[in-house]
Amino acid sequence: MSRPCNTSEAPLAVTARHLSKTYWFYEKEPGLSGAVKALFKGRKTVVRAVQDIDFRLHTGEVVGFIGPNGAGKTTTLKMLAGILFPSGGTLDVLGHIPHRREKEFLKKIAFVAGQRNRLFWDLPAEEYFQFCKIVYEIPDEHYFAAKTRLVEMAGIGDTLAVPQRKLSAGQRKRCELVAALLHDPRVIFLDEPTNALDLVNARKLREFIRAKAKAGNHGIILTSHNMADIGEVCDRIVIINAGQIAFDGSLSSMYRRFATKKQIKILFNGPWSRDLVARLGELTIVDPHEAVLEVEPAETARVAAHICSNFPIRDITIIEAPIERIIEAIYAQRQK
Amino acid sequence: MKALGRYVTLFVLLCRVSLMRQMAYRPHFFLMIFGKVIRMVLLLLFFQAVFFKVEALGQWTFDQVLLLFATFHMVDYLMSITFQRNLSYHLPALIQNGNLDSRMILPVNLLFLSSLESIDMMDLVSFIPCLGLLAYALYRLGFAFTGLQALMYGLLLMNALMFLFAVVLIIATISFWTTQSAGLGRIFDDLTRIGRYPLDIFEGFWKFLFIYVLPLALIAQAPSQALLGSLDPGFALYAFGCSTLLVVLAVGFWKMGLRAYSSTSS
Repeated sequence: MSRPCNTSEAPLAVTARHLSKTYWFYEKEPGLSGAVKALFKGRKTVVRAVQDIDFRLHTGEVVGFIGPNGAGKTTTLKMLAGILFPSGGTLDVLGHIPHRREKEFLKKIAFVAGQRNRLFWDLPAEEYFQFCKIVYEIPDEHYFAAKTRLVEMAGIGDTLAVPQRKLSAGQRKRCELVAALLHDPRVIFLDEPTNALDLVNARKLREFIRAKAKAGNHGIILTSHNMADIGEVCDRIVIINAGQIAFDGSLSSMYRRFATKKQIKILFNGPWSRDLVARLGELTIVDPHEAVLEVEPAETARVAAHICSNFPIRDITIIEAPIERIIEAIYAQRQK
Repeated sequence: MKALGRYVTLFVLLCRVSLMRQMAYRPHFFLMIFGKVIRMVLLLLFFQAVFFKVEALGQWTFDQVLLLFATFHMVDYLMSITFQRNLSYHLPALIQNGNLDSRMILPVNLLFLSSLESIDMMDLVSFIPCLGLLAYALYRLGFAFTGLQALMYGLLLMNALMFLFAVVLIIATISFWTTQSAGLGRIFDDLTRIGRYPLDIFEGFWKFLFIYVLPLALIAQAPSQALLGSLDPGFALYAFGCSTLLVVLAVGFWKMGLRAYSSTSS
């Protein structure tokens, strides 16, 4: 479910032009002999993690970065947050150059990584919230109001006095989000926020992000492999592949541009011929009473009408092809 | 002034958090106190064993060496309580596992946070007997020093801490490229330990090396000599100049390191 996107009039929060990042490392052959060899004669490998990316984010917009592993999503996010120094190009985030890491810039952003835990491991979240209050110079009245609101939104009221090591991954992640948002950042970077969370906690986290996006005039960029994150939270998606932007636009425009097939989901209430249905499109049998047929968009209405008239059906639904399939097709297209 | 107040508040908070973290595991907490006391007792026993048999080291009398010993260990503990473990061990680990990211996004001086994030309050247990040892040495020396000599002693102690901070920082910064520096940290530990002895006991090349090239003499020998009134003013200037230059170089090197930071993948 994509939220309406009307942010083109909103001020720019992020502008990246020709952004690039190149790494190098020494390759090591496996085994002890490889390790010894690498001490004296390592082979230098250069990785162009991000190549000449142009990108914009308006305030009030939620953008999802998606792409295969090693595509350059996290590297891009870390350059935007000032953690990594770009190898080329220019960056402007809220009027600041991120890698200078000016205090005023860092007070306006938040960066949350799904795999990392920054809270004090042996202590309750409350202690880290106090640390944030001092570090971000949050006035008392704002701190208490923001904490109350965020704790309620994240549903972690009963865990504030429990040491982090005693909490579940989902509870810790939500504590971390509260800590990251106490200072009311204007741009929020979320790197795989639902990673390692179960379905319930991932849903709660998505609701939390969505509520936060609706509550304020923030710009949010999140990276994810979880298509539910993208579909439910983002206004716009940016597909990154091999360090380059393969697509930048709304979900609906992605469907228009790349969806070559639609799906017709059919629930039968009597015997039906598999061969006859298979002649109408690419057939997938879910169970004896349910099947999915993939057809060309122009053919969808005709095929659906034909099924309704010629087969014993209980229900029929026309749906877009799954987002995963479209993205796979885009990756494949870029690789060619 | 406001910024200074903020950093003082932050330092107090970091001390409080470190103490709470150390107290989070009760058996560990009491064992750690026990370990620190044993460490100090063993040091004093070693010292006593040596000096009840030897009356002087080089041109240094027993009481003067006692002062040098107490001074060295005060600097050593101050360093250990504050920046040494943070920079020598914690920072390389943060660079290696990519957790430095979460520190880099905080609107606080990263060098301050990296140096003082974990304050080892337990080392205060060892630091306090050190102060007692210093008082005892001064008592045996008859408190024969002027106000100016005491002031120089204090300034040279701070200078020694600055010098050691710069050395530790340079070694730690190498981790941005190698992503490991624990080995280099150990070289530092071994080398600085030489500073607890009067460096006059060395001859020729080694004396020149330890006093001027690797100026370990400025750690404890120079402050002690200042208090004893035997410090060469030229060496005092050399000590201040050397530390200032090294701090400037270390901070520049640190900034280069930050540019080279590559984090880790998610």
